[in-house]
Amino acid sequence: MPLLINQNVVADDKWLRVDADTLAQHPEAAVIVPFDVFAAEQETLLAGERPLAVQINGDQDFDLVLANLERLSLVVIEFPAFTDGRGFSFARILRRKGFTGEIRATGDVSHDRLEYMTRCGFDAFEISDERFSDETCSVFGEITVHYQGSADDERPIFRR
Amino acid sequence: MYQYNEQDQNLVNQRVEQYRDQTRRFLAGEIPDDEFRGLRLMNGLYIQRFAPMLRVAVPYGLMNSVQVRKLAHIARTYDKNYAHFTTRTNLQFNWPKLEEVPDILAELAEVQMHAIQTSGNCLRNTTTDHFAGILKDEVEDSRPWCEIIRQWTTLHPEFAYLPRKFKIAVTGSSEDRAASQVHDIGLHLVKNDAGEVGFEVLVGGGLGRTPMIGKVIHKFLPKHDLLTYLEAILRVYNLNGRRDNKYKARIKILVDALGIDKFRELVDAEWAEIRGGEMHLTDSEIERIKGFFAPHPYSTDAVNGVAALESKLAEDADFAAWYERNTREHKVDGYRAVIVSLKPYLKAPGDITDVQLDVVADLADKYNFGEIRSTHDQNLVLAHVQAGDLFALWQVMAEHNLARPNIGTLTDMIVCPGFDFCSLANAHTLNVADQINQKFDDLDYLHDIGDIKLNMSGCINACAHHHVAHIGILGVDRKGEDFYQITLGGSSREDASLGKVIGKAVPQADVADTIEKVLQVYVEQREEEERFIDTVRRIGLTPFKERVYAPVN
Repeated sequence: MPLLINQNVVADDKWLRVDADTLAQHPEAAVIVPFDVFAAEQETLLAGERPLAVQINGDQDFDLVLANLERLSLVVIEFPAFTDGRGFSFARILRRKGFTGEIRATGDVSHDRLEYMTRCGFDAFEISDERFSDETCSVFGEITVHYQGSADDERPIFRR
Repeated sequence: MYQYNEQDQNLVNQRVEQYRDQTRRFLAGEIPDDEFRGLRLMNGLYIQRFAPMLRVAVPYGLMNSVQVRKLAHIARTYDKNYAHFTTRTNLQFNWPKLEEVPDILAELAEVQMHAIQTSGNCLRNTTTDHFAGILKDEVEDSRPWCEIIRQWTTLHPEFAYLPRKFKIAVTGSSEDRAASQVHDIGLHLVKNDAGEVGFEVLVGGGLGRTPMIGKVIHKFLPKHDLLTYLEAILRVYNLNGRRDNKYKARIKILVDALGIDKFRELVDAEWAEIRGGEMHLTDSEIERIKGFFAPHPYSTDAVNGVAALESKLAEDADFAAWYERNTREHKVDGYRAVIVSLKPYLKAPGDITDVQLDVVADLADKYNFGEIRSTHDQNLVLAHVQAGDLFALWQVMAEHNLARPNIGTLTDMIVCPGFDFCSLANAHTLNVADQINQKFDDLDYLHDIGDIKLNMSGCINACAHHHVAHIGILGVDRKGEDFYQITLGGSSREDASLGKVIGKAVPQADVADTIEKVLQVYVEQREEEERFIDTVRRIGLTPFKERVYAPVN
């Protein structure tokens, strides 16, 4: 699955996806932990030292993620459907809280949402093979005029 | 009116090319159907019963003659020589080809128009009072605030995939001609005790299958806080609105489930984070936008035309009838606002032909500073006509079937296109509108009945606002046959209320007769000068039910 970081295709993902069963098998690796596992194992995970990431969707407890941002280097926000816009607000709030790590979109992520996601604070995208093409990277800059402030530039057009 | 600068123009041009590319990729099979659906809806393109339907944005109902001529040109070139005005003050083309929509959008962009966010689960076109800026009792002209909101909503990256559509209306006077209380957010310009202007903010109103009146969330929002407060409401809604059931996804359901106090707490907590931030409005921006809505260069000689007007009114009864029903007072002496009736006899309410569009554009240039407004009840307004020009204007409009003197009367109906066009509809509406027109064609009778609002929707989605009509008609399907449910006592105005169903739905053939019985009760029971709605409120539904459902001997 192609991974875009800062508008470029990245060949290797340094993060390893684990689940409840495989978490213990990679004690040193930088891991992306599903939210449910993170919630269940938070004391152990937070006390450790390895690079840690959480994957969350709109149905899960975003406040728990917000409360532990200092320990997270990556937050993966899942879009179960392209119509689910909660992840846009999640990213916006993460940046507002001062989170400077990577915010990655996964799930139903494709061409026509990448620019909006970028404006809301996402800087990485996992895109399925069938939705990825050479044109995908050309989406950035299709619309250069932004009336509102957003995570990419909090100033609305009238303050720029 | 607002004029695009280079950035505004760049945005609509870029949006045209973006949509052109989306259409190309869809036709090449690179975008799945359901995903393209979301993309095209955000650009106003529906796939309807017979053909695509393109909804063009008319921000807060304001247009100039150049734009209206362009709409006429599009109706002629890409459609079947007509278009349709809607309750969001937008304009719909019913027969465009999907492949040609990018070209239509490119033509629209030439005259500072577009179809951005006229549909889909995003922030929709903001509406307002069609008499904004010409009223004596106005706190402030609402249109600059609508323009500020328009810019904030346009291509908002965070709120493009909301749980459901989201509609905002703004009013500037104590009278409400924008149905603001049945909007997701209603904004009322008000003055506080210190004489400062701000907004009373309502949230959680709406129609559809669960109609609700909006609730006051803020009694006096300082005007500089407008965008941060709107953003706080939208963020709370985006995060908490239901996404499991589209019928329960509107903000009204969330506000109702939480209660307005709890909802306000959530909004206030979010607002506290952003209130003084970058989106806080500046004086210079407010003044800049207000500068686009400065008063027209009114003639100080306009009052001189009043004498000529009065003699024409005295000698021509048809003109006088039109003047009485279809013109309104203007704050500048010697001027009147003219309502162009898009409710001619036996034509689809809100429809307008390419020829009529050109006529209206010409009249606007000649008599109205080139300005045209669309109204939420599917008419047009020429808001600043000199008294001495009214007769000549009326003659041209009458010649083109635009001067039926029925504004505010029973035949000035809001009617959705119903089963003839809409893929959502359960029942026909246009033939029932014809039936009502044929039954109530007598002008003296209509004028005797006086101010009355009749709206008819072809399905429960309530596009024609039947819940807030004095007489509401809802088409329902019963085993393949059209039946019509009648409600009485609704209002979309400052005294907003929801109509109540009087009884079982009536068959199609009986709709006009049923309304006649309702009106008979009104005529018998009304007190002097009492409007229909006030009689209904005073005597209740029972006398109407008894008459309508009286056993036939």
